[in-house]
Amino acid sequence: MNAVLLSGQGVSRSFGALKAVWNVDFEVRAGEIFGIIGPNGAGKTTLLSLVNGTLPLTRGQIRFKDRVISGLRPYRIAELGISRTFQVVKPFPGMTLLENVSIGALFGKDKIRDAREARERTRSILQTVNLSGREDVAVENLNISERKRLELARALAMDPELLLLDEVMAGLNSAEIDWIMDLIRRLNEREGRTIVVIEHVMKAIMGVSHRIMVLHHGEKIAEGSPAEVSREEKVISAYLGERYARRRGAAGKGEQGGGNGGGEHAPG
Amino acid sequence: MLPQAIVNGLLFGSVYATIGIGFSLVWGVMNIINVAHGSFIMIGAYLSYTLFALYGLDPFLSIPPVMAVLFLLAYAIQKYVLNRVVRGSVFITLTFTFGLQILIANLCLLLWSADSRSIKLPYSSAGWQIGGLVIPLVRLGIFGVALLLTGLFYLFMRRTRTGVAINATALNFEGAKTVGIDVYNIYAITFGVSAALAGAAGCLISPIMSINPFGGGPLVAKAFVIAILGGLGSTVGALVGGLALGLVETVGTVFISSSFQELLGFTVLVLVLVFRPQGLMGKRFYE
Amino acid sequence: MIPQAGGGRWKAAGALLLAVLALLLAAAPFLLTGFWVRLLTYIFMFSVLSSALNIIAGFTGYAAFGNMVFFGLGAYTTAVLMSKARLGFVPAFLGSALVAGITAVLLGLLLLRLKGHYFALGTLGAAEAVKYLIENLTGLTGGGQGLTVPPLRGRPATVNTFFYFLMLLLLVVILLVVWRLSRNRLGYALKAIRANEEAAGVMGIDTTRYKITAWVLSALFTGVTGSIYAYWFTYIDAPTVFDVMWVVKMFVIILIGGAGTVFGPVIGAFILETISELVWSRFLNLHLGILGLIIILVVLFMPRGIISLVTQGKSLLSLAHRRRPPGRQPQGRPRGEDGQ
Repeated sequence: MNAVLLSGQGVSRSFGALKAVWNVDFEVRAGEIFGIIGPNGAGKTTLLSLVNGTLPLTRGQIRFKDRVISGLRPYRIAELGISRTFQVVKPFPGMTLLENVSIGALFGKDKIRDAREARERTRSILQTVNLSGREDVAVENLNISERKRLELARALAMDPELLLLDEVMAGLNSAEIDWIMDLIRRLNEREGRTIVVIEHVMKAIMGVSHRIMVLHHGEKIAEGSPAEVSREEKVISAYLGERYARRRGAAGKGEQGGGNGGGEHAPG
Repeated sequence: MLPQAIVNGLLFGSVYATIGIGFSLVWGVMNIINVAHGSFIMIGAYLSYTLFALYGLDPFLSIPPVMAVLFLLAYAIQKYVLNRVVRGSVFITLTFTFGLQILIANLCLLLWSADSRSIKLPYSSAGWQIGGLVIPLVRLGIFGVALLLTGLFYLFMRRTRTGVAINATALNFEGAKTVGIDVYNIYAITFGVSAALAGAAGCLISPIMSINPFGGGPLVAKAFVIAILGGLGSTVGALVGGLALGLVETVGTVFISSSFQELLGFTVLVLVLVFRPQGLMGKRFYE
Repeated sequence: MIPQAGGGRWKAAGALLLAVLALLLAAAPFLLTGFWVRLLTYIFMFSVLSSALNIIAGFTGYAAFGNMVFFGLGAYTTAVLMSKARLGFVPAFLGSALVAGITAVLLGLLLLRLKGHYFALGTLGAAEAVKYLIENLTGLTGGGQGLTVPPLRGRPATVNTFFYFLMLLLLVVILLVVWRLSRNRLGYALKAIRANEEAAGVMGIDTTRYKITAWVLSALFTGVTGSIYAYWFTYIDAPTVFDVMWVVKMFVIILIGGAGTVFGPVIGAFILETISELVWSRFLNLHLGILGLIIILVVLFMPRGIISLVTQGKSLLSLAHRRRPPGRQPQGRPRGEDGQ
């Protein structure tokens, strides 16, 4: 059994009376791909923000490699080897693609000081995400698929041990989704990175994750392998409504996947 | 001493409220710190003076025409000039309004010369005596009119379609556009309303303060304090802030020297900015 | 660190130009009258001040409208040390640098957490507070009377020349510093902070440390300029050395030249002061109005400054994210073919 890389105990975050994340315990093991799913507003992005330090916890604790990281500032957490992409991409405007990605190499975990080394790492990453020809393009001129890959490239340039991906596939077409799924697997299997993925594209997240956690209204309602989780009544009920779940349970269906012939995307 | 100071402070504070409301409006809605607000006040004061000097028009009566003139002037400035930079950075917009301020100050200098002007009303010495307190009629009138303007503004923002549109634009620019609000026109109207209030304030101060082209600067500083203390987007906040500032000034001079007052004032301001930027009463509008 | 666009042909032409310029500047005080020498020194001074402001405002994106606080503190430190403590100029100069630097750290810790307008006006408030504080310490600072500084002894021409070269030297130093900044790690961190502070933090940049460093750098240069000013003008008073109009001028200079560029502030200072001199001598009455008009026109039509209009070089961060009213072209300037 692999060591636990990231763990949270009683993780909670409230905004006034709104409990965005409430009392979540979780464990991510080294070398696995850990998926987080849940209807919109479930608290998935908030949870990622709590891990990478963008938001402070209201209660609870998060540990990385057995060291408490909740309460540290984002740059410290980045230096420890955790990097993240944003759902709404946050590039550095006014800078080229190359410059955007090099920031990760220069200031991420390895804090590369040598210009040539930084450039080489950046170029190799751009190759990995298939953006090699677009180095000198200003980021404002990239299309959505390129922007998503830019986000990914910036995170990779930091050479993270733990990579947090927040809906990297939103807005992409079917072929692009397959390609990213493949990339995620490569990053995990060939480069040994532990990856936490938030996704709405069901076929994708079910396809790449080793284990999945389901959030609903800020609380964890299920955890397990993709197959286990998609059969859980609570999960089905959260996505498709209680009546549907009861009807399915009554009819004794045992299908795989969270959707049901209605496409790959979960509603909501 | 003290009770009179309190009365004076409240009476004059009402003018501060009028100044603060317009300034706070532009800041809250368009995220522009309009340094030229002071010069709008001065234009109002000068116009009021001119109408008095030429036609003997009482400053209170010149409020409607002055407000109209300033509304149109500011509407035009926003619509044709300021709207191009309104979504820019603070660097740009602040520098721009500084430029506007000194341009207008220079124009006032050319039109009215650097000599201080003032209005002597026939009834300026009349007043009430209650107990040991003296309440000059002029100041009471100013107080009443200022409160009236504040009330009208409050109703305008809450009860009229335009007011609601302004609020909507302030809270969610993109959303307002989506529902069909002509946001740049709203910006122009907002700037116009703000200037109209400034012009009215100018009329109100013309009988009690001397008017000079550079009087706008200190007034903007006060408007800024009121906006911060009262919170952006809050009419009640600006009212309370204005009265509070008036009180602090008059009561303060009873106890501490004026230079020390300024020091204290700025220190408090910086601390409020750092620790409670939403003001004593308001909610955070813009970062 | 990251390879810059633009080739060797620019470098050769540039080097030649610089050599000629250096020669002219070195010879100037011996060829021109005192008036022109002093004017040039004054322009150098504003170039330094604007360059220093550019570090925190143009590069890092924090519009420090209160930056004069360092100038004033620098001027007063030197004035007090030289007139009251009878120290020489060099220790006074260093004292000014120290005071400015420490103030920047303290103010930075307090104010750099603010953004946008709040930061701009917070610094302004702090500057005003310091101004009133200085005015009230009458025993030390002479209060409203100001302070006189023991002057440099010598013939007027020699004195003029001394301050000319001193200010020019300071300008060369700050230009070197800023030039390095446009290429080194610190510079990149500041650019990233300005472009998107949250993303910068998430990518490992300790934003607090870098912001304070930038401000200290800015303050040091601003403070020692104040020190030189005190020695040069031999009389200072609070309203002058803490004058907010100076900062407004500095912002306009940066705008004219180009924010976040190396030579922008120098070019802007030359242009603005030249126009100022021309106007001042002919149209005293219109001086402010014309300055105001210039400000408005620059903001409207050249918010990225002259440098971006003239050169093909990488235009650093876009200042004005301009949105045009509906019915017009979509935002921003049209991009060139090379995508810059």
